[in-house]
Amino acid sequence: MKKSRFSKLVFFLTLVFLFMPLFVLAVYAFNESKNMLWTGFSLVWFERLFTGSRNIWRAFWNSILIALTSAATATVLGSLGAIGINWYNFKLKKYVQTVSLLPLVLPEIIIGVSMLIFFVGIDLHLGLLRIYIAHTTFNLPFVLLVVISRLDEFDFSIIEAARDLGAREHQTLLRIIIPMAMPGIISAFLIAVTMSLEDFVITSFVSGPGSSTLPVHIYSMIRTGVSPVVNALSVVLLGGTICLVFLMRPFFKYIAHE
Amino acid sequence: MKKNHGLLYTLPTGLWVTVFFLVPVIIVFLYSFLDRGERGGIVWRFSLEAYRDMASPTFLHILVITMLISLAATVLTLLVALPCAYYMARSKRKSLYLFLIIIPFLTNFLIRIYAWQAILGNSGFLNNLLIRAGLIKNHIQFLYNEWAVIIVLVYSYLPYAILPLYSTIEKFDFSLLEAARDLGTSHPGSILRVMVPNIRAGIVSAVLFTFIPTFGAYAVPKLVGGGKNSFMLGNIIADEILVNRNWPFASATSILITLVTTAALGLYVLANKSAARAAQRKKT
Amino acid sequence: MKKIPVLAMAIACALAIGVWAGGKGETSGGSKVLYFYNWVTYIPEDVLQTFEEETGIEVILDEFASNEEMYAKLKAGGAGYDVTIPSGDFVSIMIREDMLQPIDMSKVPNFKYLDPEFLSKITFDPGSRYSVPFFAGAAGITVNTRQVPAFEKSWKIFTRDDLKGRMTMLDDMREVMGDALKFLGYSVNTKNPKELEAAKQVVSLWRDKIVKFDAETFGPAFARGEFWVVQGYVENVFTELDEALAQDARFFIPDEGGPMYLDSMVILKGAKNVENAYKFINFISRPDINARIADFLTIPSLNTEGRKLMKEKTAYSYEDLKRCEFKEDLGRDVELYESIWHEIRIGK
Repeated sequence: MKKSRFSKLVFFLTLVFLFMPLFVLAVYAFNESKNMLWTGFSLVWFERLFTGSRNIWRAFWNSILIALTSAATATVLGSLGAIGINWYNFKLKKYVQTVSLLPLVLPEIIIGVSMLIFFVGIDLHLGLLRIYIAHTTFNLPFVLLVVISRLDEFDFSIIEAARDLGAREHQTLLRIIIPMAMPGIISAFLIAVTMSLEDFVITSFVSGPGSSTLPVHIYSMIRTGVSPVVNALSVVLLGGTICLVFLMRPFFKYIAHE
Repeated sequence: MKKNHGLLYTLPTGLWVTVFFLVPVIIVFLYSFLDRGERGGIVWRFSLEAYRDMASPTFLHILVITMLISLAATVLTLLVALPCAYYMARSKRKSLYLFLIIIPFLTNFLIRIYAWQAILGNSGFLNNLLIRAGLIKNHIQFLYNEWAVIIVLVYSYLPYAILPLYSTIEKFDFSLLEAARDLGTSHPGSILRVMVPNIRAGIVSAVLFTFIPTFGAYAVPKLVGGGKNSFMLGNIIADEILVNRNWPFASATSILITLVTTAALGLYVLANKSAARAAQRKKT
Repeated sequence: MKKIPVLAMAIACALAIGVWAGGKGETSGGSKVLYFYNWVTYIPEDVLQTFEEETGIEVILDEFASNEEMYAKLKAGGAGYDVTIPSGDFVSIMIREDMLQPIDMSKVPNFKYLDPEFLSKITFDPGSRYSVPFFAGAAGITVNTRQVPAFEKSWKIFTRDDLKGRMTMLDDMREVMGDALKFLGYSVNTKNPKELEAAKQVVSLWRDKIVKFDAETFGPAFARGEFWVVQGYVENVFTELDEALAQDARFFIPDEGGPMYLDSMVILKGAKNVENAYKFINFISRPDINARIADFLTIPSLNTEGRKLMKEKTAYSYEDLKRCEFKEDLGRDVELYESIWHEIRIGK
């Protein structure tokens, strides 16, 4: 079993590789000085994060706003699209399938550039609206994929049966298809929220005055002053996300077992 | 009689991606054939200048560098991801390990790059450690070169490679391996001949998931590269858009990247088809 | 049981739409805001706070690192900014591109404090019809004397072997090319291909010794001890230093000179908060405020009254600026610079 020992070694080294940056970040968040030399424990960077960093929090709320709205839109549109693609055959099906999956296979920068050029072309200047549209666009393919794969697992005959029993289209949709697809829809929504919170490249191209999201703001912080406030922020964000994941455990169980 | 509501269901999605994705990409394609305005932007006059500019030795140099960096990052990612996924799939604590792989990616991607800056910097964590340990006297320049870019790219896309590999390896029937060994194949030999063909789909998606984003990388080379040989096509596009305002050239470069990534995708589809055909042949 | 997720989704959607509508109201409704697009580290945070306290106008700030970046952003979706601070060459470009509003000087009474000698030299906007000068200065070199005790005050420092891997220069083509041109004794605005080719050779030598061209992170990296010799704006470095290192850091403008800038406040066409913009420009031109900014930047002030109120010593004097030359708009010839710059950047 030499192979398995080798893969075990690689796996644990990889874990070290993955966690080392987080560890370094967290340690220096509590360092008194700005430098990489340890001078003493201090919470000063956390204090500055919570009291003296208005712009960070503005960007934070922008991010939350965009993530919820764009994920909600993408989930609603994408789920309907997935149902359509999955249950029906129609003329433009191939087209819709191909085009809506294309954003997945292009590097982010291409999407960012083309959206920017497009928005300038149609003279759309509202930063938040641009970001909302861009995020919805790159979230749609993910929603489609996740919901389609969920629907794939199901038995067509239930719906046929419902129809045979006289159920109307909207009844089948609301009573059968959507509840069945719900775990997929929810995980699609969660993935979309995450993708949106995470995106920097596309957002930085299309954002406008005062509409920086958190990643864009973090970029402007790390490009100008390396400040341990960023470390403090990352500790807070990581802690927050882990708590959130923990709180939502019942939800995940539901998704996994349904 | 079943009514066909397919178009109705997909109409919103179809319209949305057409307007906000396909149309913009077509505009970019058109712009790449236009002339550049005096102070940037475009002039509606047909021109191949953007494509002619691509033939310059400087641009070709960046193209080659970009290719090499993204290929190196992809290969390295795969070499690390394969044993990891293998170990995870065979272990008893699968969900714990999956969770551990995902945790680092719950922090923002820029913060992770920033952490690497702090680790690899001239007065960073690693140099401090090595100097303190007496291994080196002067700092080593880790940052702002092609290796820093490759390492951080591997870091950024590793889970995207591990996850698809894991899910195919998990489905793999390991008794096949044992059978091969019983028939006298050596361990590495059995893995190569029995396992790899079976998890090919996973390998190909892992390669695509790392190659496509690294080929268009922009933030990573911007923040940990930027020196000689660590300037990539993504940076050219960003510079042309954000600084020089040479839209036709930025568009043409975007089209080039799009072609390369779709070509990669085309290979994937072909590989899938031939794999499916091979499977068919085996069955019959 | 199955209703819960449906309900949750519905609530999420409703919340999202609510927040969205609320957010939109916030950005368009209130007139108590000012969208300000500024250089990185150019006005201290507490000055903006004083402005907010005095006027109740909230300043929403975004930052850029070069004129080109600012211009590109404004052209591609920056509509919505009220005030920005371009350098002279870009003021003339923006006037020509019809991006600026004429300034009603009766609303900027503090304009009278600006040094008339400097105002008379302005060629990019004669008579100051579109712009209110903010600060003038030049990029120079900052040296960490703990690590580099002996050095010549010359651009030649960037060819020193012993400093290889410890130096950076700005990622700004007009600045770095201008330094090389001045080093060779040419004009920073030359359009002569031969002179530019010679400058390219010089910059290529520099490039082999420096870590990278960087207009953004060199200040903090200098503060961390990462870099020992950096070319750039003095404020980007000194605002990052702790007191001990500030003692040991020396800033100088090389004897050969270099390009210089005069940055001016302008009001953009399409600005929604014009009255607030006037209040802001007048506020920034007030002697006590000007002195606070000058003390923060440690560069000479253009404000005759402000100069008297300054507490800090400036990093260089007007005498030093006499060696320097204003950057002018190059028109389409900027492409000569761009192609050379690209070749330098990627290591040809």
